[in-house]
Amino acid sequence: MSTCKPLARVCVKTSQPNLLPRLQTRHESTTRRHRKLLIVPGAPSFTPSTPQPTLVFNPPSSAPNVYHTPLKFLPKDDRRRQMYASFLSSSTHAAHRTATPTIAQPGTPLHTTNVSPLNNAPTSSRLPPRPSSALPTPLRAPYEKTYHLTEADIKEIQRLRSENPDHWTRVRLAEKFGCSQFFVGMVAKNHEKATRVSEAHEAARARWGTRRREAREDRVRRKALWGRDA
Amino acid sequence: MKRIPFSRCATQRLASSTPRRPSCIHNVAPHNHRIQWQARLQTTVATPNDGIAEMMAEVEEVPAPESTSKFPSRSPSRKPLPLEHLPSPHPRAAAQSIKLAALRSRLSLPERFPLQSLARTLVHPSADADPAFNNASLSILGANLLGYYTTEYLLCNYPRLPMDVVFAAHDAYIGPKALALIAREWGIETAAAPGGEVDPGLLQFKRLRPGSDLPAALQRQLPWKWEKTTTHKIVNTDEFGSNVKPASAHALQGTPVPVEEAAQSFVRALIGSLQLHLGTPLVKRFFRDHFLSRQLDLSSLFDFRVPTRDLSRLCAREGFEPPVARLISETGRLSRHPVFVVGIYSGKDKLGEGAGSSLQEAKIRAAAAALKAWYLYKPLEVTVPSSTENELHPKNWKPNMVDCGEVIV
Repeated sequence: MSTCKPLARVCVKTSQPNLLPRLQTRHESTTRRHRKLLIVPGAPSFTPSTPQPTLVFNPPSSAPNVYHTPLKFLPKDDRRRQMYASFLSSSTHAAHRTATPTIAQPGTPLHTTNVSPLNNAPTSSRLPPRPSSALPTPLRAPYEKTYHLTEADIKEIQRLRSENPDHWTRVRLAEKFGCSQFFVGMVAKNHEKATRVSEAHEAARARWGTRRREAREDRVRRKALWGRDA
Repeated sequence: MKRIPFSRCATQRLASSTPRRPSCIHNVAPHNHRIQWQARLQTTVATPNDGIAEMMAEVEEVPAPESTSKFPSRSPSRKPLPLEHLPSPHPRAAAQSIKLAALRSRLSLPERFPLQSLARTLVHPSADADPAFNNASLSILGANLLGYYTTEYLLCNYPRLPMDVVFAAHDAYIGPKALALIAREWGIETAAAPGGEVDPGLLQFKRLRPGSDLPAALQRQLPWKWEKTTTHKIVNTDEFGSNVKPASAHALQGTPVPVEEAAQSFVRALIGSLQLHLGTPLVKRFFRDHFLSRQLDLSSLFDFRVPTRDLSRLCAREGFEPPVARLISETGRLSRHPVFVVGIYSGKDKLGEGAGSSLQEAKIRAAAAALKAWYLYKPLEVTVPSSTENELHPKNWKPNMVDCGEVIV
């Protein structure tokens, strides 16, 4: 009988997993767009304006040579003082006199109108900044040393520190008297507290694993190399 | 064309043609005849009967290999001593040595520098205990000359160098390791064992057997004094500021020594004999060509512990404005590998510049660079003291700069 139906219907629309790898397809239009993006104008110092062969001077920025003694370190009678001074004045004069270079004119990639993050001076280009009398920002604000603590203040610091070293720590004393923590440690040393703290630190260090201990030791070794310039 | 091994050829000729070394009249130990010969051979040992002038005159006169007939004391009936009994090669064999002639021309030494002297500089006291035949006295003279020329070069050209760096620079220019390296670069070959039959162009010394301990004279000895101040090092120790006294050149007679010890004594003795035979100007030129021409980066010898503190002490001492660290440029502050470029300024002048991956690192490197810039100051015109030697009224002398010293914190 033709009306006999199979017991299980064959499901035609099964959701089979797509075994093809999901590749990113790039059509002709995308390719052209990407290749256009890669076309960047050459660095201005490498694209001379004249067809004649010219000298390209574009040294990489590097740390100054330590054998070149700065002007301040030269003795009074050294002839290099006059040379340095005359060179500095002439180069500054020339740099201030020249107009904005053609490669940094508005409309060129090197032209921007933003503010320099270092000395908040408006920069008109991505070229190195012009020489100016403004120095870069200091790492920490310069301060004047005020020798304002008297003998009585120092006696008070020592008394507080010896009475309750756990409360009157170096930080609290420095805040109270307006001096540095180094100065507090200098005038009021508490050896008992220091040994207690160092023992606690030692106990904490004893619980370190290999990785942390080695990482800390390596850090100490790296720090020692800073002063050796290696 | 058939190649003949030169060394074998030379030794055969040497063995057949050279007349035997005449033995002494009194026929005692083989060394004693040499005392009698002392005036004939080139020696710097001062003996009571010959003065300095006579010695210098002897040095001028080159003993020729065929000069045996000049000695009337030789008795024809005596049997000549076999070469194997001599502790070191006979000076007469030097004229026939190919190695010595090659070494002399390799070092661009003039012909008037006798090969006999060159042969004597190659005899270490461990091979030949006789001070008239080994290089001990010459090496003492050469060590003093080397120290003198290196010191005046360093102190005149870099007047602000700290003493520790001066000592390290001495060690790098004329230290024991440097001298042994120079001898190796000159192509000095060593004899397997010293003896009279060996080619005099080889370095003669008694070898230290592998695995055995250093001789007592070369081992670490007691310090000069239990004192380690820099002043003590300047006044009382040698030019390297070493803690222990080095072994005397005469103290190594008969003791086996390592190759480096023999090689450095050769280099020092060569300088000493050049001074005696050729004079000061040529020694100075030789020193400039072979020692000062070796590149040494003095800036790598510094090791500052707290450079920021040293620099602020320096600025306070010299009356400059206190140093301030300023951030010149930075990149990637929030990334994994930031780079900060920090300059140290005193007033408006930049003293040093350093780059680092943290602000602290860049600051410390910049301070170290500033200190190096201070210490490595080099005057434009320098007249070393030895340039005015042998001049009654030196006109070109200009007093050198003398610095007040390093920063003491």
